[in-house]
Amino acid sequence: MKISVNWLKEYIPVTHTVDEMANKISLTGIESAPVHNGEGLDKLVVGHITSIKPHPDSDHLNITTVDVGEDEDKQIVCGAPNVANDQYVIVALHGAHLPEGKRIKRGKIRGEESDGMICGLDEIGVPVKYVPEAYHNGIYVFPEAVTPGTDALTALGLDDDMVDMDITPNRADTLGMRGAAWEIGATYDEKPSFTDAKIDESKVKENSDLTIEVENKELVPDFMVRVLKNVTVGESPLWMQRRLWNQNIQPVNNVIDAANYTMIEYGQPIQAYDLDKLENDSITVMNAHSGDKFTVDDGTNKVLNNNDLIVKSGDEILGLAGVAGGINARVTAETKNVVLESAVFDGAVVRKAAQRHDLRGDASNRFEKGVDNGAVSDALLRATQLVDENTNADEISQEIVGSYTEAKPTVIQGKISHINHLMGLELSSDEILNILDRLGFETKLDGDDLTVTVPTRRWDMSIEADVVEEVIRIYGYENLKGTLPAGMETAGGYSPKREFSNRLRNILLGQGMDEVINFALMNKQEAADFNVINTNYTKLLHPMTEDHEVLRTSLIPGLINNVAYNQARNNNDISIFEQARIFDRKDGVDRPKEVEYIAGAVSGNIAMDSWNTTAKAVDFYNVKAIVEELLSFANLDADFDYVATDKISNLHPGQTAEIIADGQAVGFIGKLHPDYQKEHSINDTFVFELNVDTLFGMEKRNVQAQTAPKYPSVSRDLAILVGKDIESGTLVKDIFANGGKYLSEVNIFDVYQGKNIKSNHKSLGYHLEFLNPEATLTDDQVEKAFDIIKDSLVQKFNVEIR
Amino acid sequence: MSLNDKLKDLRANGIDEAKRAERIQELNDLRVNLLGKKGPITKALRGMKDVPAEERPEIGTLANNVKQDIQSAIEEKMEELNRKIVAQKLEEETIDVTLPAQPSKYGTRHILNQTIEDIEEFFIGLGYRVDAGNEVEEDHYNFERLNIPQNHPARDMQDTFYLTDELLMRTQTSAQEGRDMESHDFSKGPLKVISPGVVYRRDDDDATHSHQFHQIEGLVVDKNVSMADLKGTLEALCRHVFGAEREIRFRPSYFPFTEPSVEVDVSCFNCGGKGCRICKYTGWIEVLGAGLSHPNVLEMSGIDSTVYSGFAFGLGPERFAMLKYGVNDIRDFYLNDVRFLEQFKGVN
Repeated sequence: MKISVNWLKEYIPVTHTVDEMANKISLTGIESAPVHNGEGLDKLVVGHITSIKPHPDSDHLNITTVDVGEDEDKQIVCGAPNVANDQYVIVALHGAHLPEGKRIKRGKIRGEESDGMICGLDEIGVPVKYVPEAYHNGIYVFPEAVTPGTDALTALGLDDDMVDMDITPNRADTLGMRGAAWEIGATYDEKPSFTDAKIDESKVKENSDLTIEVENKELVPDFMVRVLKNVTVGESPLWMQRRLWNQNIQPVNNVIDAANYTMIEYGQPIQAYDLDKLENDSITVMNAHSGDKFTVDDGTNKVLNNNDLIVKSGDEILGLAGVAGGINARVTAETKNVVLESAVFDGAVVRKAAQRHDLRGDASNRFEKGVDNGAVSDALLRATQLVDENTNADEISQEIVGSYTEAKPTVIQGKISHINHLMGLELSSDEILNILDRLGFETKLDGDDLTVTVPTRRWDMSIEADVVEEVIRIYGYENLKGTLPAGMETAGGYSPKREFSNRLRNILLGQGMDEVINFALMNKQEAADFNVINTNYTKLLHPMTEDHEVLRTSLIPGLINNVAYNQARNNNDISIFEQARIFDRKDGVDRPKEVEYIAGAVSGNIAMDSWNTTAKAVDFYNVKAIVEELLSFANLDADFDYVATDKISNLHPGQTAEIIADGQAVGFIGKLHPDYQKEHSINDTFVFELNVDTLFGMEKRNVQAQTAPKYPSVSRDLAILVGKDIESGTLVKDIFANGGKYLSEVNIFDVYQGKNIKSNHKSLGYHLEFLNPEATLTDDQVEKAFDIIKDSLVQKFNVEIR
Repeated sequence: MSLNDKLKDLRANGIDEAKRAERIQELNDLRVNLLGKKGPITKALRGMKDVPAEERPEIGTLANNVKQDIQSAIEEKMEELNRKIVAQKLEEETIDVTLPAQPSKYGTRHILNQTIEDIEEFFIGLGYRVDAGNEVEEDHYNFERLNIPQNHPARDMQDTFYLTDELLMRTQTSAQEGRDMESHDFSKGPLKVISPGVVYRRDDDDATHSHQFHQIEGLVVDKNVSMADLKGTLEALCRHVFGAEREIRFRPSYFPFTEPSVEVDVSCFNCGGKGCRICKYTGWIEVLGAGLSHPNVLEMSGIDSTVYSGFAFGLGPERFAMLKYGVNDIRDFYLNDVRFLEQFKGVN
């Protein structure tokens, strides 16, 4: 809410600029910004039209003479339809600056001199929606005589300096000028003084015919009305109007304006109805029936449901409680008798109704954050006073109460020592009591025991911690010296699993892969593309877009999006990885397991064409090398098998392997299916994905140091011809199985298929290393082992030794 | 010619030849030819028998000197030639060091994870545990346990992706507070933990909003934790992240799960507080929210709030990284254009 300094001055002395105030209020209470209205505007004065005649050369222009407080009246040509003699108007003099850099200059309009311009409010910076309806298409006319030559901005309040307070939801007590004065006053150690509302008691009549029924008093703890009879509805006085448009409220008439003015002053929304438009002599506050139709006072139609609280008379819905008045009982120029309502409605009900019907406004904003139930009656009295002053009613009813809840101040117990302790300060009890007094709280001290009695306007306060906050913020956070917690030493650190995944990540970084972060929410198609773990999807109840609807079951779709995004921008050579969670939801449970995965994608060249190298496109084995190094650094006591599979959809059926660790599937590696690549407009791409949680759960290698061998190794080369479907991995396993304890390494150095080789066969070359760390190996020992190896291969795989 | 003169002649010629040699081979030949068993010096010394006995020692000495002098001349020249050969080799092997190397690339950690890890390591140094928590969370922990009951207006501040009525994508890493508090054994010392991770909000993605982003929650609960401790801790953090000269300030704020609550500003690292575009000419930049743990939050975890107190803070790695590196669009973090990613090589 914007706090007008002029208005604030009615309650507390103000000696600071709004800039200083905004800064100070921000540091002690509520985030605030200074507002300088009317900046850059000048030469705008009040003028009095002393004569008017039609422009001889126009059917809509008039020539006026205007007294602007100078020796001579000015002649100004005016095209507004509502211009008339004897009006007090806004005049932009020759040389005046208007908003958006507009400047007014003396000149001739169709041959007639025009020395300035008569303005509308919108032309001098008031947004049209806050300009009173009557002046929407034309000039603004002051509702009362103002001395010509007076600065028009001052007369209209448009040069008011203001402090715009951006409140947090707990500080709705400052959504009224009085509450704001308390807050700002406490900051500057100035207690505000207020004039009590007072009505003309002589007009008060004992009884009114109106009866009120509140059906659900829990949702409507306070509901009271007063009736004013035989009012004269018209325009509000200028002082009231200008304060309203400065609050971004459109002046309407002297009843509705008084109600709105009271809301700004007290923070308590007031609703006005035309008594004669009620269906009968009763008002009922109740829940709507689902399907009830309601027309808001701006003419929009709403269909209600049974969670909506409504104010009703007979079958007629007068308003949506705390949210909006209806069109039926609206106060208009013809209204003679008025009902003013002041109430407290349940915040949650109001909030939901306002959301549901898209009707959030000044009233609902206050009810949903809370209003002072100790001020409901006072605010009603004040509204009644203002309406009476504006409209000169004949008769005022007593307060008619539908529901009432006694407002009790909150009593908080605390200890001076504990308050200091929590702040990390050592303030004397006097200092603390003084601060609480500035806030208008009553205090009682008994040794260390403190009792604070908080007035109802600060309904946010309930416990000692709230007192701590009040004391420390008014004392000033800038006076607080920082310390570090002085408790027992603790050993911090990552969890073992996080240490493990950090290690895996470092290996991939070391392999030159860039790390990416993708969204966990994806579209259904993406999730279906790589549901490799074959789990149930976890879906949002109310997704915002189809793009982010389902939780991922694999990191691959995100990586593919990244490859596509980059390759579309000519970043063709991509090597990326992501380490994040996938969501694995078992049958019959709502909550998915969150499983850590690590996955990578490589596309394009891994070596570039350069002055001393030739380009090399990534292949399966480059990516396999990355995975193997990753797995070796995982330091697991397990053997890893790469098992060819054609079962993973969207991967190449001939270039994909499942990774099996001691019989347990831990991930896969493969080339994307050409169709899938085409669909996603990406080049040949290889991906891998590993389940970090599974790897982390596996037995670690138990490393016992061995002295590096002192004896030389002996090598043998083995060349064989074998059926082309037999996998090298199988052969190597067999070689190891038969090679004896001295066989230390088997490396394949040649794979050949084609010319000079039997069809359906391939030629393989292996390099075998034998090593005895204890002694020199004899040829005999090696030859024997080599023979066993060869025999087994011949027998089992029908190989030809070459 | 006397034997004496003959030897002197041989010496003069030998030294001269050595000096004129251009190749190592010539010197080796020269040595064999002049000083070898079949060489002229040996041959000349055979005429010793004709020399009177009293002159023989003198001639002998001379002959040795001649041999030595020739030997030295050869060695000297040999060294010179060797130096030339090395110099030539070096010359031939000289390369253009400005030619590009074949890349041997180390990957770049995502800037958000670099930012997170920098902060994690700072707190690990202060004795904090790192506990990442769950991304799918119960309404109970994400809201109720943080003093945000149903219909609390604060639920408006963070619209939520629900999976069921009870399950949601956590909207804040503070959701981990309840779990950390209820599982901590206070007889083993204070609870000091940070919870980094991904959170989700029902926001449209734009330059300043992302439906998925990161947070780091910090929580300390012990017998003597104060607002001053919170200030000192965050001062140290902000100096670690934004520079040793930084100051911080607290402004009152509101979070349902802390009381008192504060917003924390750091003095502008760009202008030092004088005012610039980055700090919107205020000299201060809002970087995080914090406060003392609300007694209700402590009590809900079975912690006696009259004995224990705590502080909590929450910060946004995206915001930190955007401020520190001048990233203007939060979406850049999630597009993963490698040209964007790789510019942060080694910054943390």
